[in-house]
Amino acid sequence: MGVIEVDGLKKFYGEVKAVDGVSFKVFKGEIFGMVGPNGAGKTTTIECIEGLRKPDAGNIVVLGLNPYKEREKLYKRIGVQLQETNYDPRVKVWEICELFSSFYKNPIPYNSLLERFDLLKKRNSFVSKLSGGQRQKLSIILALIPDPEIVFLDELTTGLDPKARRDMWEFVKNFKEEGRTVFLTTHYMEEAEYLCDRVLIMDGGRIVALDTPENLIKNSGIENRIIFEGDGVNIEKLKEVKGVIDVKKLERKIIVYGRGENFVQSVISFLNKEGVSYNNLNIKNPNLEDVFLKLTGHEFEEGKDEGSI
Amino acid sequence: MKAVFELTKIQFKVTLRNFMVTFFSIVFPTLMLLMFGGIYGNKPTPFFGGYGTIDVMLPSYIGITIAVTGFMNLPLTISEYRERKILKRFRATPIKTYYIIVSQIISNFIMVLFGLLVLVIVGKIVFNVHYLANGPSFILFLLLSIFSMFSIGFLIASVAKNASSATAIANLVYFPMLFLTGATIPIETFPKFMVKISKFLPLTYVVHLLKNTWLGTGASIRTDIIVLLSVMIVSFIISLITFKWEYD
Repeated sequence: MGVIEVDGLKKFYGEVKAVDGVSFKVFKGEIFGMVGPNGAGKTTTIECIEGLRKPDAGNIVVLGLNPYKEREKLYKRIGVQLQETNYDPRVKVWEICELFSSFYKNPIPYNSLLERFDLLKKRNSFVSKLSGGQRQKLSIILALIPDPEIVFLDELTTGLDPKARRDMWEFVKNFKEEGRTVFLTTHYMEEAEYLCDRVLIMDGGRIVALDTPENLIKNSGIENRIIFEGDGVNIEKLKEVKGVIDVKKLERKIIVYGRGENFVQSVISFLNKEGVSYNNLNIKNPNLEDVFLKLTGHEFEEGKDEGSI
Repeated sequence: MKAVFELTKIQFKVTLRNFMVTFFSIVFPTLMLLMFGGIYGNKPTPFFGGYGTIDVMLPSYIGITIAVTGFMNLPLTISEYRERKILKRFRATPIKTYYIIVSQIISNFIMVLFGLLVLVIVGKIVFNVHYLANGPSFILFLLLSIFSMFSIGFLIASVAKNASSATAIANLVYFPMLFLTGATIPIETFPKFMVKISKFLPLTYVVHLLKNTWLGTGASIRTDIIVLLSVMIVSFIISLITFKWEYD
């Protein structure tokens, strides 16, 4: 039994098939991530699960409830951060916290949350005076006030600087330690790789793959690469080395493709044995971004913040 | 209920922090009162059918407050909240979604009462304004006036395609109503063709209704009631059909 069960979800906007037959389960206590480029259907999917959009077809059950029809019941038990919510700039931080607390029977005291997210000193500030990172922290605080079983985070770190993004990652890890399930979307592959127990890769409204980040990389069949510069390397002999699949030479630069645990070690010991002088040696392990490229056949567009289908 | 109370409280605070709204709903009508009263005093005058200038104009000025809250603050807040995805964020909580609209209406309603109170206090102290109405009927017609005009604001918020078009429509509704209905400038001073124009503006009927009820003139207010009720029902129905929580 999953805490979230999605079965055959479809959502069309006119001719555009934003989500086209998506099924998966999310289990209690995991950090589940949806990744994909803009327009992949991530936000539409998460908003159908949150009961904010009505699916055209398919069935969704969240904590045993129908999110669209039992919205009020569901929201006593889940907390959400929506993409691009822009709170009233004329409201103060404590006022909006107090307001959201009034929506729940047993809210977490917001002052303790403000303290935990280092926002207590901004208690009396207007929302308009907060930085991007502080605003996202406020969004998280509002999502946590109901003491939710599931936390939904839609593009939590988009537009944040690297330091603020790292901070957010630690917060999300903490939610898991508190026993909450986390459902997040991101278009940063490294974020999904770092945070998620399982990753769902989405493209063009469909599921491309769903597994742990390690398995996704392992099963993708993408080779490791060793890149170095050197002269007098016997290419044919190098191809015979254990684990090596292919070798390419671009002027002085040599790229060795290979797989297996001893691949790197055997190549380096081969080079040493041959007495080849090499420099600028780099080892590149495949990451989720490579997996995405391989599975979808197109580059992953990173860093574009607009568009929220 | 706690949620409605807190929503209303925060909405009212935000309205008070909005200089334009506070100025035009509270300060501006009071300034008009002081200005007109300063020039003409409150002696009975045949120009106003034997009533004092302030006795006639004070109930008209309530129309200004109703117009700025109903035609400007109400629709602009709703459409701004829709554009900022705040309405959507409220839907992602366990409260009933209509609470959000109800709290907007209540906070603007309180604003009108607040404006009325300031007018009455200033009018009483400075000009010894007279109140000649029968209490319950004035309250009843005040409520009708407020909700009828608020429903126009709700209509603007519902049909506008985005926040900037809501602003454009609101201005197009607000300014003609402010000056061509007798709310700011007495209708008694209007040339004939302007009186004709005023017949097409719903706020004219609010001003006529409140003025005649306040003064207890006994003039016919049947047309006012019919027009305002119709405006209210029609606007409300169209709003219900076209209202969206989120722009496409």
